[in-house]
Amino acid sequence: NLKHTMQSSPLQSLVDDPTMLSTSHLPSLHALAVQVQYNLQYQHSWTDLRLHTHSPTANEPLPRPLLSGLPPERLYVHPDEQIQLLKDAERRRKAKQKEGEDIGILDVQARPELEWLLPTRLGEKWTLRRLSEVFNVITAVPPEPDATDKDDHRPTNPWRATKRLVLATVGSDSTVVYYIVHDGVVKPRQN
Amino acid sequence: MASIVEPFAISHIAGRFLLFDVDAISHARREHNVCGVLIGTIPNLSQQNVFLGIPLELMPEEARVLVEQGHAYILDDVETHRSGFLEMSRETRLTALKAMDEKGRELAIAAKKRAEERQAKALKELGLAPKETEPTEIPPTKLDRYFITPTTSYPVLPKQQETVSATMPEVPRSYPLFRYLHSKGYFSTPGLRFGCHYTVYPGDPLRFHSHFLTTGLDWDEEFDLLDIVGGGRLGTGVKKSYLIGGEDRLLADQCDSGPPLESVRAFSIEWAGM
Repeated sequence: NLKHTMQSSPLQSLVDDPTMLSTSHLPSLHALAVQVQYNLQYQHSWTDLRLHTHSPTANEPLPRPLLSGLPPERLYVHPDEQIQLLKDAERRRKAKQKEGEDIGILDVQARPELEWLLPTRLGEKWTLRRLSEVFNVITAVPPEPDATDKDDHRPTNPWRATKRLVLATVGSDSTVVYYIVHDGVVKPRQN
Repeated sequence: MASIVEPFAISHIAGRFLLFDVDAISHARREHNVCGVLIGTIPNLSQQNVFLGIPLELMPEEARVLVEQGHAYILDDVETHRSGFLEMSRETRLTALKAMDEKGRELAIAAKKRAEERQAKALKELGLAPKETEPTEIPPTKLDRYFITPTTSYPVLPKQQETVSATMPEVPRSYPLFRYLHSKGYFSTPGLRFGCHYTVYPGDPLRFHSHFLTTGLDWDEEFDLLDIVGGGRLGTGVKKSYLIGGEDRLLADQCDSGPPLESVRAFSIEWAGM
């Protein structure tokens, strides 16, 4: 009786679920996307996660399944935007100090933004062409998860001038590493 | 600093592209964001290699982009010197020798004048009156001229006898990305220390830290994601981005017949911090 010695992990159960199969993409690619989604949700506390099999604009299947989601904190701040946010925070602190409420610290406010994610495995071979093809079919910002809820519509960030996605790479031991890829020449952050 | 006439010469010697003219070096840096690397030893400090001087070595990519844009030409310097000196006409040779004689005479006169000044100064310090000699014109024939060994080929070698190379410098496959970044005003220097093709600066390297570690690829060249992870993490660790890019040949070929399109596409990669 193997019932107690071999038990599938929650992730394995999720991936094995036949209702999770896709009609447009290979099971290996679909399972990969589900695995990354699982990691984002339970390890990194992302929300509003959606798996995309078709382009948001045309109804064409995507070259590969993509994910979109909302990180708990803002994932990417352009260095020029960073300067502006610091200035705004400084202005707010000065205003608070005038009113007598010295908050002491600089409260830099940056709302989280929806991000695209490209799930990949470490052994995959990629080319500039394939990467361009992925960028060509995504919009600058992922679609809002709940299209009917117009009140919650986030204003577009004017600093978000170049398309970007998060390259999620799964290693052979199931660790997932995340790298931001911009479609263009974008100067580095000065962390 | 003398002004440079374009196109200026890039010496092609033993497979390297070199600039020997300090004005050309400043001009290339100032006007064409080409930085290069100084590789010459300094005669006064020959037992060190921290401070280097002329000539400036250009990457083949830098030489090519200057030639493509008409700012410079490739000079086959070995052939220029060989044929230039062997086939030099008698008049040119005599002119050169005469110029050297003149220089030698000037130096001799200047040396004698300095000696006289030193003598007068020494006498003054001793409290003696300087020798009152009539300032006489020293006949040129009486004064022994110094013998000059020219240290540069020019102006001995006349400029008309240059052998210009017809072939474009051979460049590696990362050239389209280099050319694209150069056209945007970036300075690129060799990227060996970071394991990439070029280190790219948003302005003169003396004023800025570099922004990108770049690797140029063919449009259909396969790369490992592990290299992206490695490059991205390395870059983020040193406050830079890892930049990969290349040319879409299909778009490039369309450029030839139609309106100018940008055929090079680049991607900037940073660690997400999660």
